[in-house]
Amino acid sequence: MKEQVVCKTTEIEPGEMKAAHFGKQNVLVCRTLDGEFYAFLNQCTHQGAPLDKGMICGATTNESKPGDYRYCRKGEIIRCPWHGREFDIKDEGRMLANPNKKLPSYKVRVEDQNVIVYK
Amino acid sequence: MSKEQIRIVDTDIHERVQYKDILKYLDEPFKHYIQNCHWMQEKHMPYTQPSVAGVDRADATVPDGRPAGSDLAFMQKQLLDDIDHEFGILTSALDPSPSSMHGWYEMATALASAYNDWQIDEWLEKDDRLYGSVHIAAQDRDAAIREIERVGSHPKMVQVLLPIDDIMWGDPFFHPFFEAAEKHHLMIGMHHNEPPVYYGKWPRYFIEWHTLIPTAHMKQVANMIFNGVFDKFPNLGLMMIEGGFTWVPHIMWKMNQQYRDLRHEVPWLKRKPSDIFKEQIRVTTQPAEELTKQEFTSLIEQMGSDEILCFSTDYPHWDYDSPTRALPNMDPELKKKIFAENAKAFYPKLPK
Ligand code: FES
Repeated sequence: MKEQVVCKTTEIEPGEMKAAHFGKQNVLVCRTLDGEFYAFLNQCTHQGAPLDKGMICGATTNESKPGDYRYCRKGEIIRCPWHGREFDIKDEGRMLANPNKKLPSYKVRVEDQNVIVYK
Repeated sequence: MSKEQIRIVDTDIHERVQYKDILKYLDEPFKHYIQNCHWMQEKHMPYTQPSVAGVDRADATVPDGRPAGSDLAFMQKQLLDDIDHEFGILTSALDPSPSSMHGWYEMATALASAYNDWQIDEWLEKDDRLYGSVHIAAQDRDAAIREIERVGSHPKMVQVLLPIDDIMWGDPFFHPFFEAAEKHHLMIGMHHNEPPVYYGKWPRYFIEWHTLIPTAHMKQVANMIFNGVFDKFPNLGLMMIEGGFTWVPHIMWKMNQQYRDLRHEVPWLKRKPSDIFKEQIRVTTQPAEELTKQEFTSLIEQMGSDEILCFSTDYPHWDYDSPTRALPNMDPELKKKIFAENAKAFYPKLPK
C-alpha cells in the first residue's frame, strides 16, 4: 500500500486547507474545525479548477424554507475557486447540489504530527 | 489544446482598468473629477457574491493584490501562455459600460475615449495576440460616432462594443454607429450589462438573473434583425457575447415562423431570419451548459450551421469556461471551427 507523509499537522490550522504532493498526484489536505484531516484530489470535478485556490467555509443548508437562511457546517465545506461548487468534506467530498458526484478522496492518518496520505 | 494542436481564438477576455491607470489618458476637467473629487461610476448589481471571490475567479487575483484582469503579465501567464492562445478579443470590465451610465454624458464620453487609448497602449500594442473593442458612450450619438472614427481604424480594434441593457440597438437612431463600424471593418459586439432582464429591474436572486441572461440576448437579436440592420448593412456582423448558445435554435425557429405570418410588417427583410442569423450573427460559447456530445451535436444540427459558435473563456470571471473541459468532445473539424476558424472568418481584421 502506497503511503506518504504530506505535511506536518502544524502546517494546517483547523478550518484551513493546503495543496500537497502524493506521489505525482496533487492532493488537497483539509482540516476541519474539530482538528480532523481529510484529503481529496486537488482538482474540481466540474472543469478541473485547483481547489486549494478556493476556500473552506460553511454553507446555507437545504433544510431551509423559501426565504429562510441557515448557515452552518462551518469549516466543513470546500468551495471551488471558479464556479463555486460546494463539496462536503465530512461526507466523502460529495457535492451539495448533486450528492452523486464526489471529489476523489484519499485515506489519511496522523502519526507523531505527520499527516500521512494513503490509498 | 495540446492534443489536436488547435491554437484557440478566445472571443471574450475581460481586461480591467483601475482609474489611476487611465488618468493620464483623460482630458481635464474629467481627470480632476476622478483624481481630486473621488468621482466613480455608479454601480447597479445588487448581488456581487456568486462565487468565492465575488464575480471573479478566485485564483485570478494578481499576486500583488490587484484585481483580476488588471495586469497583462499575469494574464499572459495564467491564460494566454498557459493555454497557448492564438488570439484573444478584449471586452473589458468597465462596469457599467459608458453607454449604460446615467446622466453626465460628457463624463461617459471622456471615459470611453480614455479607456480606448489605455486599451490600445497597455494591451493591444503590448501583446500581438490581443485584439480590442471600441467603447463608446451612445448617449451623445455624435460624439460616439466621432470616437468610432477616431480609434476604429486602429489595426487591432475589431468591434464596437454595445452593452445589452435597456437600449434596443436596432432602432434607426443608432444606425449611424453601424455605418461607421462598417466603414472601418469593425463588427458589433454585444455583451450584457446591467440589468438586462426583468424589464429593467433586478430579480430577487442572482441565480434568476444569471439564468435569464440569454433572454436579453434574444431580444437584441430579434430587434436588430426585424429593424433591418443586416439588410441595410450587409457587411456588418454581430457577435453576441456571454449569453451561452443553447437559445439559438429556439429564436431561429420562432423568428422564421413569425416571419411567415407577419412578413408584411417588415417587408425590408429579404432573407429568412434564420438565414440572416447564419450569415451575420455569431455567438460566443460561454457560459456553456453541461451537454453530452450527442446533445451538443444535435444543437448544432438544429442551428443549421457549424459556423455560428465561437469559443470564449470569459477570463477572469467566476463563470470562466475551460477550453479543455467546458464543451464535450467533438470531431476535429468542428473543433477547429468553434475554437478558432469561425472567429477568424467573422472578424475581418483578425489575421487568417
Ligand atoms: S471548476 Fe469547480 S465549480 Fe467549476
